[in-house]
Amino acid sequence: MRLSMGWCAAFALAALAGAAIAVSQVSPHVMLDPSAIGKAPTTSWATFNGDYTAQRYSRLTQIKPANVGRLARHWVYKITEVGAQRGAPVPVIKCTPLMVAGVLYITIPDHVWALDARTGDPLWRYDWVDRGGHLVGQRGVALWKTTVYFLTPDNWLIALDANTGKELWKKNYADARKQYFSTSAPLIVKNHVIVGVGGDAMDMPGFLDSFDPVTGELQWTWWSTPRKGDAALATWPNEAASDHGGGMTWMPGTCDPELNLIYWPTGNTNPVFAGQGRPGANLWTEAIVALDPDTGKLKWYFQVSPHDTHDFDNTTAPILFDRVVDGKPRKLLAQAARNGYFVTLDRITGEHVVVKPFVPLDWSAGLSPQGEPIPIPDKDPTVGGSINIVNASNWEAPAYNPKTGLFYVNSVEGKAIYYLTDSSAQPSGYGGTGAGIGPATRVLQAIDPLTGNAAWRHAYPNLNNAPSTLGPSILTTASNLLITGDDQKNAIIFSADKGQILWHRELSASESSGIITYMLDGKQYIIFGAGDSLYAWSLPR
Amino acid sequence: MRYPVFLALLACALAAIMAGHAARAGAQEGVQPQPAYQNMTPEQRAAATRAFLGLGPEPDKAAAARGGAIYLASCAFCHGPQARGATGASLITSDEVLLDDHGERLVAFLRRGRPEKGMPAFATMTDAELKDIAEFLHLQVEEVANRGAYRVLNILVGNAANGHAYVDAHCMSCHAAEAFAHIGNRYRSPDQLQRGWVWPARGGDAALAVTATVKAADGATISGRATQVSDFRITLVDSVGQTHAIDRWPGVTVQCNDPLAAHQQMINTLTNDDMHNVTAYLNTLK
Repeated sequence: MRLSMGWCAAFALAALAGAAIAVSQVSPHVMLDPSAIGKAPTTSWATFNGDYTAQRYSRLTQIKPANVGRLARHWVYKITEVGAQRGAPVPVIKCTPLMVAGVLYITIPDHVWALDARTGDPLWRYDWVDRGGHLVGQRGVALWKTTVYFLTPDNWLIALDANTGKELWKKNYADARKQYFSTSAPLIVKNHVIVGVGGDAMDMPGFLDSFDPVTGELQWTWWSTPRKGDAALATWPNEAASDHGGGMTWMPGTCDPELNLIYWPTGNTNPVFAGQGRPGANLWTEAIVALDPDTGKLKWYFQVSPHDTHDFDNTTAPILFDRVVDGKPRKLLAQAARNGYFVTLDRITGEHVVVKPFVPLDWSAGLSPQGEPIPIPDKDPTVGGSINIVNASNWEAPAYNPKTGLFYVNSVEGKAIYYLTDSSAQPSGYGGTGAGIGPATRVLQAIDPLTGNAAWRHAYPNLNNAPSTLGPSILTTASNLLITGDDQKNAIIFSADKGQILWHRELSASESSGIITYMLDGKQYIIFGAGDSLYAWSLPR
Repeated sequence: MRYPVFLALLACALAAIMAGHAARAGAQEGVQPQPAYQNMTPEQRAAATRAFLGLGPEPDKAAAARGGAIYLASCAFCHGPQARGATGASLITSDEVLLDDHGERLVAFLRRGRPEKGMPAFATMTDAELKDIAEFLHLQVEEVANRGAYRVLNILVGNAANGHAYVDAHCMSCHAAEAFAHIGNRYRSPDQLQRGWVWPARGGDAALAVTATVKAADGATISGRATQVSDFRITLVDSVGQTHAIDRWPGVTVQCNDPLAAHQQMINTLTNDDMHNVTAYLNTLK
């Protein structure tokens, strides 16, 4: 095995399959009613985004501006059992924890923990021994009835008993030797476990797979690039380019159960920086696609970055919300895209309502009649170097608060020089490189999704650059809180309406995970990971 | 309120720096600063990326060079000169190639060929020749998939005379002409020169350091070189080398000054042509 030799020796004594380790005598009783998945989270956090909208908005109000000054650390769980992983010297919690029936589920690559939500004590741990794949992050598990679903770096969907961590079944859905790797959390919709994939080193096509939650049987596959006979092939020079066109699906999508649609953001086109071999818009990479969750059939798409050559990797969450526009109730979807555009769409049709830059950018010559940005060819990576923006957002969760009507995103403003390193007519892989130049500033923005304008902004002071690889996620509440952090180890709570800082605490690392909240035993908790530690906060008696 | 809004805060945010950090592009998390790669040799960077990506053992470059000649004569017609496909399939993502390490599978495969799909057998070649072809194919995969091994091409694409004119028009209000003497010799490569003039590394250069003056509520002030600023604290080193970490309580004001502010403004408006031209010009100042 060419791609796994390096680890075979290291793991010669390890079991080939993963193993559950019980670390507590306490036996939990988790049983998640599937009809509760996707509903507004109050006493649980049952799916990656809390509910299907990805608003990351909580109706809970026990913690509020009047008492937030008393917010205190309830417990901390620090990962001590896992040392350096390939490419990751220390564990970093990049998941969104789930909490059901008093049990929290957290992950890092190759490992799942069930923790007692009241104490932070571990109940069980599941360890996987990977045979390849990147260990860049793990976004969390999905839960259905008494089963936990976990994705491994080498693309196994693993079903675990939610109460014991015992492996029930596993299914391999992509080849790590072709540089597919998995970091995502599955999305459960009805009887579908929907799984996305990452990996853009070798020009492979992205896809979504849907599996049966009981048997693991494959129900459907949707490819991110068109196959033979599809009209969308006209956006590629030929079928081979489309077959190798990328469009990974590595962040969980959102869902409107009434419309029976899932909304998935698709990643960057391949070859990544060298676009000369793939003239055309390159559908459906760099897009938001609406699919039927029962069949995987495409209902509509909106391409946020046609013919991307900057790794704009359109994977930030498409948030669903309803608003009255010009006197008419509208079902909307908004995304603060990595290419610097804020996009609000009608989520029934995919028609654009707002498409507007939310960071200073100059790579676009305006919008097409469909509202899609038109790239300026001079801004493509070149042999001599081309200045363009860094990713304006990333995988870290944005939020929407129905009470303020504002969309919140921790954006990044900065520039990079992009070089073309493969100027041949048939480039492959990345074919180029990008390097940040000058300051990169993280700016918390509260954007009106009906205009694209910021109602308020908070630039975090920082004499070092804002890292785009890791940044604070956002949670907002009905009590006018916006919970997030900076890049200097401070957890920060702002007022959601005005952006005033209400509270902060310095931690041992910068916040790195999704932020969740729930009510347990009459107490509201706020939970997030920072580096190798998971923190639980509440109001002391 | 405990945290009034500081007007000076914006100035500090704008002063955010990237002190010579190397950077690289990464799957999923995009173009990013990656300080860990800063001090690596190209070979170390390639090896680290190979390990991170799980690309397996390093191809034998000497064998690949020998195999390349055989490949070009016997295989390139169908599979393309870089094995990226022509009338035949791309071999970059071929299972036969990816399952092999150093020819232990590919040698037998090539000897037999795949006659059912029109690929001839290479039965007359020696094991050593077939192994060299295998190494050549592994090197083609490496050159695509290992972005840590990528090299910028000849970036000197600009017009030096136009670059000279740009420097005269835009740079001399701050810089003396001597500032550019021998600048073409100060960097390892033209891309480092380009990076270095667009956004000079501050390093230990006191003249490039961000400075700040902090005024306490009682009116006392401290000035010095700012080493970090957040919403809640500023850290600075005063003229005698003493470090001060000052909490930004209400009434504390902070004024920052960034000597590279003009370069930041330039980055936001610099055209690619001007950048290439200036680099071409400065590269002549040996």
